[in-house]
Amino acid sequence: MTLSKIFIVAKKEMMGIIKTKSQMLVGLLFAMWFSVMTAPVVKTVDEAAVFDTFNNLMFYFVLMLGIFMAYLFSGKVFFNEKREGNIETLLCTPLSLRQIWSGKVVGVTIVAYLIALLAAVLMTIIANIFSTSMLLPSPAILLHIVLVVPAFIATAVGLLGFGHLLLGMRENQIINISIFIVIFFALSLTKNVIGAGFVVSWIEVGVLLMVAVLLLALISYLTRYLSKERIVTTIT
Amino acid sequence: MIEVRDLTKKFNGKTVVNGLNFQVQEGEIFGYLGPNGAGKTTTMRIILGLLRPTSGKALVFGDDLGSNDELRRKVGILLDNDGLYDGLSACENLDYYAQLCNVPDREEKIRDLLDFAGLTKRKDDKVGTFSKGMKRKLGLARAMIHDPDVLFLDEPSSGLDPEAQRMVRDLILHMAKEKRTIFLNSHDLDEVQKICSKIAILNRGTIQAYDRVENLRNKFSNPVFEITLTDAANAKHAFDLLQSLDYVSDCKPDGLGITATLKEENYSNILNELVGNGIKVEEAKKLAKSLEDVYLDVVKEDSS
Repeated sequence: MTLSKIFIVAKKEMMGIIKTKSQMLVGLLFAMWFSVMTAPVVKTVDEAAVFDTFNNLMFYFVLMLGIFMAYLFSGKVFFNEKREGNIETLLCTPLSLRQIWSGKVVGVTIVAYLIALLAAVLMTIIANIFSTSMLLPSPAILLHIVLVVPAFIATAVGLLGFGHLLLGMRENQIINISIFIVIFFALSLTKNVIGAGFVVSWIEVGVLLMVAVLLLALISYLTRYLSKERIVTTIT
Repeated sequence: MIEVRDLTKKFNGKTVVNGLNFQVQEGEIFGYLGPNGAGKTTTMRIILGLLRPTSGKALVFGDDLGSNDELRRKVGILLDNDGLYDGLSACENLDYYAQLCNVPDREEKIRDLLDFAGLTKRKDDKVGTFSKGMKRKLGLARAMIHDPDVLFLDEPSSGLDPEAQRMVRDLILHMAKEKRTIFLNSHDLDEVQKICSKIAILNRGTIQAYDRVENLRNKFSNPVFEITLTDAANAKHAFDLLQSLDYVSDCKPDGLGITATLKEENYSNILNELVGNGIKVEEAKKLAKSLEDVYLDVVKEDSS
């Protein structure tokens, strides 16, 4: 019953994001733009290093893009709902505050992750166009994309959602702008952030997965400190 | 059904509502009135469990709505915000809430409510394209999607055309006949007068009046008497006489007519005085006291 309620909210949020064409378009354009701009870097490295470079790019880029999508869609799902006042009506339905938060996190995570996956596929295709050898993600990077990326997206959505619900509208606007600048800057650094000698192994992927799960658990725990009163009194 | 006991709410030390006490019984339409900033919305939010009281209790079916998730299934709300998503269609909005409230036969229920709201032809259009009135009607349909036992309505007729206002009013009366309880937060005194069985008037955080509408009319508003005289001489004579009576608080001439406000119900005495003094009265009638008079009296009395 609890899960079904969470999925009802998640489904509605997914539908809401997908139906907002302008926002979906921005998300897809960002994914395409950064893929197109980043992938050709493989042609600038030595043949021996091309595989590692490609995997390093995938490791960083897909994660950062997923987090960026989380940021982009969280604003609509949490911030707008609060600003427009619909959250009050939702809080009067037979859902707990935790179920509402969870449903929104799941809904945004799924859409953001699908776009991140799309970017990963696109980047692989483009990288192969510029490479003489066949480039595919290593098993560790595949695991990273399959587990770590969605876990970090969920963590980012959860944290942003928590902030949107907890804080006032002015604070949220300031935080939103700051986060946008940081993530945009981080994405721009994709080509330079990981050195050529570095190889992403199972260990890095495993550590990141643990960090993501712990963060998610921590944020989930923090939602205990959210209250309906806090949300309602910070709407205006 | 709804019970508010010694309810007080303070924000940063400032008292917004203070020691409220009232009850709403099953099937009753309860009007909650008061000027802006009186504390109406705060009271409603506390009852709905959106705010915690500083002291006292607000119970629905004997329990706190804020902490009992399942109990909220019995409650429908229409707040100032319609609770609708502009990016979704009318049908999708209703379906979302129907699913959250676990409504059986959703499709049939949605179809009936869209029909009731007169929005069947627009069911697949995004709500963002709707007028304010259409959104209000759809918001009301949304509030009723799960057949709630209690409905909390905040200015339900706001933004509606007269025809739609009438429809909403009829619907509220219909729901009350089905033994549903309505908590109506409204500025529209005419609407409240027509449909509410009991009212509370809130001013500056405290309840100034709480009773059945008829009782309040008798209790708070001074009786008014309108007399029409046969000619100008009679009218002048009557006016002088009425002014001299100690139980007449105010007297206004208007051609051959005079409107007298009495300090107490004393209609027979006033007629006896006029006739006893040889004044020829063509017509005499008590004026019905409106809820607006009561409301203004209560609020004015409190302010003074």
